[in-house]
Amino acid sequence: MKMHRLWGLFLRYYYNLLRSYDRLTDMFFWPVVDLLMWGLTSQYLVKTGALDNTVILALLGGIMLWIFPWRGQYEITVSLLEDLWNRNLVNLFATPVKFMEWVVTLLLIGVFKAIVSFGFASIVAILLYQTNIYTLGIKLLPWAGLLIVFGWVFGLLVAGIIMRYGTKIQTLAWTAIHLVSPFIGVYYSIDTLPSWAQTVSRFVPASYVFEAMRSEIGGVAVPLNNLLFPFVLCVIYLALALWILTRSYLHILKRGLISVE
Amino acid sequence: MPILEVNNLTKTFKNSPIIKGISFDMAEGEILGILGPNGAGKTTTLQMLLGILTPTSGSINIFGKDIATHKSDILESVNFSSTYVDMPWRLSVKENLTWSSWLYQIPDRSRRLKQVMELFRLEKLWNMPVASLSAGQKTRVNLARSMVNYPRLLLLDEPTASLDPEVASYMREFFAKQRETFNKSIILTSHNMAEVEELCDRVLILKDGLIFDIDTPANLAKKIEDCFLNLRITKNMSKLDELLRRRKLTSNTTDGVTRIELKEKILPLFLYELTKQNIQYSEISIDKPNLEDYFMKVAKEK
Repeated sequence: MKMHRLWGLFLRYYYNLLRSYDRLTDMFFWPVVDLLMWGLTSQYLVKTGALDNTVILALLGGIMLWIFPWRGQYEITVSLLEDLWNRNLVNLFATPVKFMEWVVTLLLIGVFKAIVSFGFASIVAILLYQTNIYTLGIKLLPWAGLLIVFGWVFGLLVAGIIMRYGTKIQTLAWTAIHLVSPFIGVYYSIDTLPSWAQTVSRFVPASYVFEAMRSEIGGVAVPLNNLLFPFVLCVIYLALALWILTRSYLHILKRGLISVE
Repeated sequence: MPILEVNNLTKTFKNSPIIKGISFDMAEGEILGILGPNGAGKTTTLQMLLGILTPTSGSINIFGKDIATHKSDILESVNFSSTYVDMPWRLSVKENLTWSSWLYQIPDRSRRLKQVMELFRLEKLWNMPVASLSAGQKTRVNLARSMVNYPRLLLLDEPTASLDPEVASYMREFFAKQRETFNKSIILTSHNMAEVEELCDRVLILKDGLIFDIDTPANLAKKIEDCFLNLRITKNMSKLDELLRRRKLTSNTTDGVTRIELKEKILPLFLYELTKQNIQYSEISIDKPNLEDYFMKVAKEK
């Protein structure tokens, strides 16, 4: 892996971000819309006495942490789509760039944008609702790490599917991670789910993070080693998603990169 | 030692063979043209040479290394330009060339980018988004991008397809000079036969996935035996008709000029017969076969 090539690929996506007002604004727009909607809803429920103040932090914390898997997935798949729309895959791979260098760049771009989006959303939450997610402390770091890796899993998986079947299934690029969100419990506790769905949730690593966050907000500390199992799951899923993406890449090399659209 | 060696290369798509076992090589500093009717396998071959299409069988060695195992190393010194490939259209010309340049190890990056900008006359386009450029301007930017890493081997797919004649001529001169000065090797596909004839040392004719012929443009043209004799007859036209009938030659007359198709080797004898029979003419010209004639013959042959 060569640094100059990673930098070149990073520049390609960075320039694109600067030139694309839609891509630039969606880093800030959706987190703010979610924060406004859920923040106002929860404030209303607190006023009516139906909920207490900690619920605001739990809901807004869920929204903010959700940025990590969402951006982790979204950046990989939408960046791939942009290369397909621009017929740019050949420009990338008829060069010394290695497949894994491209993948790593997309993963890192996801991290970069997730941090920017999260940082912005956390400031908005402080300003609008006096809700400071950073009170959750250093545990935010491993939680964010696990969530972004979970986002990568979906990103790589969907990228593999889009590479193989083309842009006719491009909707997956925006929606894939939402398919699993009911099992994650971003806004509610997993035990509200029917028992079969709770079983599914046990195999969804992100669900452990949101459960841990709610426990911490409720005053029950959750030791970090509780995240060991979801972390191992994430690593297994990530390896599987990488394998699928690599297989898709090798498959399209047999068809020719020019033919992918 | 050849810079490129292709051995028994095949490519099959869904049980349909597109490239059926081609072998050729290329010397450093050579310009090789690849011609063929549509669907002959030109672009497929170029894609395999760039490592963006996996061959079904066979091998490709560039600079003595196998592309299947040393793709990244090889492509440090190879580049390409194709009408089938776009660049990110929201980015400016400068941004596109900048990010592309970082994919290669270039010691003097800023200087090289400036050099390429000047060589391809991109000064006025430099900060414009690619989306706002005309097809010809995009082709120039693509060609500029292909030169950014000082490639030893350049693959050009229809390099002058959308350029105006003045710029196309400048580009031809540019590539000829690149070979002359830096001993660059170039493979190009084109539908412009005059361009291929002017630039290429050798021409490889692909047909139905096989190498139909490979030779210099002049030698390929010589393989056509027929030529055209154009005469403006002023006396004894009926004798000419009789002579053509006797020799079983075909002709047609347009605007007073009779165009006769005949074998090049019988031309002196035919001219002698015209004199002998007192067939007089005020104008004469001979159209000798060229690469285009050869290509047309190949394309028509079943």
